[in-house]
Amino acid sequence: MAPKLAFDAIVVGGGPAGTAAAITMAKGGLDVILIERGRFAGAKNLFGGVLYTHALAEVLPDYWERKPPFERPVTEQGYWLLSPDSAVRILHKSEQYKSEPAEAYTALRARFDAWFAAQAVQEGVLLIAKTTVTDVLRDRKGRAVGVATDRPEGDVYAPILVIAEGVNNLLTQKLGLARGDLPPRYVALSVKEVVGLPAPEIEARFGLAGAHEGVAIDVFGDATLGLPGTAFVYTDAKAVSIGVGLLLEELVYHKLRPYELLARFKSHPVVRPYLAGGTSLEYGAHLIPEQGYDRMPEVAADGVLVAGDAACMVDALHREGSNLAMTAGRMAGETALEAHREHDFSARFLRAYRRRLEESFVLKDLRQYRRMTDLLDSTPDFIGTYVNFINEAAGRYFTAHGIPKREMEGEILGLLRERRSFFGVARDMMTLLRGMRG
Amino acid sequence: MKARKHHPLSPELQASLPRVDVDNLITSVRYDVDEDFAHLSIKDHRVCQGCPAKPCLDFCPVGVYRLDRQDRVMVGYQACVECGSCRVGCPLFNIGWALPRGGYGVAYKFG
Ligand SMILES: Cc1cc2nc3c(=O)[nH]c(=O)nc-3n(C[C@H](O)[C@H](O)[C@H](O)COP(=O)(O)OP(=O)(O)OC[C@H]3O[C@@H](n4cnc5c(N)ncnc54)[C@H](O)[C@@H]3O)c2cc1C
Ligand code: SF4
Ligand code: SF4
Repeated sequence: MAPKLAFDAIVVGGGPAGTAAAITMAKGGLDVILIERGRFAGAKNLFGGVLYTHALAEVLPDYWERKPPFERPVTEQGYWLLSPDSAVRILHKSEQYKSEPAEAYTALRARFDAWFAAQAVQEGVLLIAKTTVTDVLRDRKGRAVGVATDRPEGDVYAPILVIAEGVNNLLTQKLGLARGDLPPRYVALSVKEVVGLPAPEIEARFGLAGAHEGVAIDVFGDATLGLPGTAFVYTDAKAVSIGVGLLLEELVYHKLRPYELLARFKSHPVVRPYLAGGTSLEYGAHLIPEQGYDRMPEVAADGVLVAGDAACMVDALHREGSNLAMTAGRMAGETALEAHREHDFSARFLRAYRRRLEESFVLKDLRQYRRMTDLLDSTPDFIGTYVNFINEAAGRYFTAHGIPKREMEGEILGLLRERRSFFGVARDMMTLLRGMRG
Repeated sequence: MKARKHHPLSPELQASLPRVDVDNLITSVRYDVDEDFAHLSIKDHRVCQGCPAKPCLDFCPVGVYRLDRQDRVMVGYQACVECGSCRVGCPLFNIGWALPRGGYGVAYKFG
């Protein structure tokens, strides 16, 4: 029999969570193997998306010198509230966003994740791509001692395993740390298209001064037919990333085809001019775990830590996920380093990881917004009703009708009452506030 | 968990959805197809016969599930982008879902 292939730590998944864990452990002196099923790290991954540098800087303080493949800094961000034929835009543009490095950059994951994993390799991590982990190996007491892969003689051993397998957390489920899949009302299916356009065109259309400026817009209302979900328009260097996502339960219930929603959004009169003449470079789809806090798997077991989307660490309201994943990955790595120092890989010891998460923004934010999905889902026409109202109100407000302003205000309130009773509005506002406060 | 309140979409909204040729859309996607292993399967075709809505035909973002001439659900696993929606969204849990073998399946260039 060939000698056992053994490492100090195994990481499953080369996304932000897994790579952050691998880098942290390698920097701490551990012998780490990072196993990724894609042709390369990033090949399976897709997001909007906006990357936040605070989390990256804590993993790699010198990340800027390592030239990350960012698309554009986010120098303007905000919301479009779409009705079927109009939009109210709330955008914030500020010199404050123009520091270098900036707080946030748009990115494309096939490029970014590949770069991030290459940094792990530089830190001494053994990256094995094109390899699917099929099972967790356990000893007689049920403690994780390694993984099985789909390579011949592909078993790998280590006293600690960081599972960062993303939203399709089959291993986490197999270990019994998650009780099955999230139900369809707690996952959103997003489809996205990368539409290629010359940089000067993008800059002219979005009002950007050059390659050092970019926008990130989240879109509510008509893009999702008013149903619970959001859409987005982000500027990349030479492309626009555009997508739409709905709670899967809505797609199932209404028998909607996500690509038709995307096509409809792209042809909205407010959106279409931004994309005119562009070439479709790539289409794709991905799930987002929503409202994780109350459905989070156990994040620690004997010899195992779980990080990122695999543990539902997404703050959907603020479109944050990659930064939670990186931070959780780093904390998993730090906990593994301590476990090695103390030679203790028990669940009891590894629960320090959960406490770390609780003290950080990761679990604080997830706890605060734990009710948002329930709020939207209990009133699925919530978004549509208010977004359409705001558009009509703006239409009245900005039009000179030759009527006294006091009357116009009354009319605007009347518009809302047509849609929702006075008490209905009051209750919606209360639930929204409670959802925000947590 | 509060009861869900779905209202059917208005016919005007339904009609506002454009028809899209999904096969054309996915020509932009790179795949390394595993000809020897289908990572998706229908567990029991009789269960699909008792599934009136057949939502998988619609929500799959790349149209993997289609009906054949006998109205049986066919699985075109080669087009799958491995999002996981069918595993979660099939109301009768009738889809066998595994990850493709290492290196196979979708390979985004941008993502
Ligand atoms: C449409 C969309 C928009 C988003 N927008 C944003 C945004 O703007 N900002 C933001 O911060 N976040 C955003 N997110 C969320 C963010 O993408 C995720 O939270 C983040 O990618 C989670 O990282 P992760 O490392 O946990 O998982 P993933 O990135 O999913 O990585 C998991 C990795 O594990 C690999 N893997 C899985 N199983 C196995 C196995 N058995 N064997 C080997 N390898 C395996 C996968 O191939 C993958 O590389 C968005 C998500 C989506 C879908
Ligand atoms: S949704 Fe599930 S049960 Fe219904 S037709 Fe599709 S695979 Fe069959
Ligand atoms: S995993 Fe996603 S892309 Fe693949 S068949 Fe299921 S729904 Fe379609």
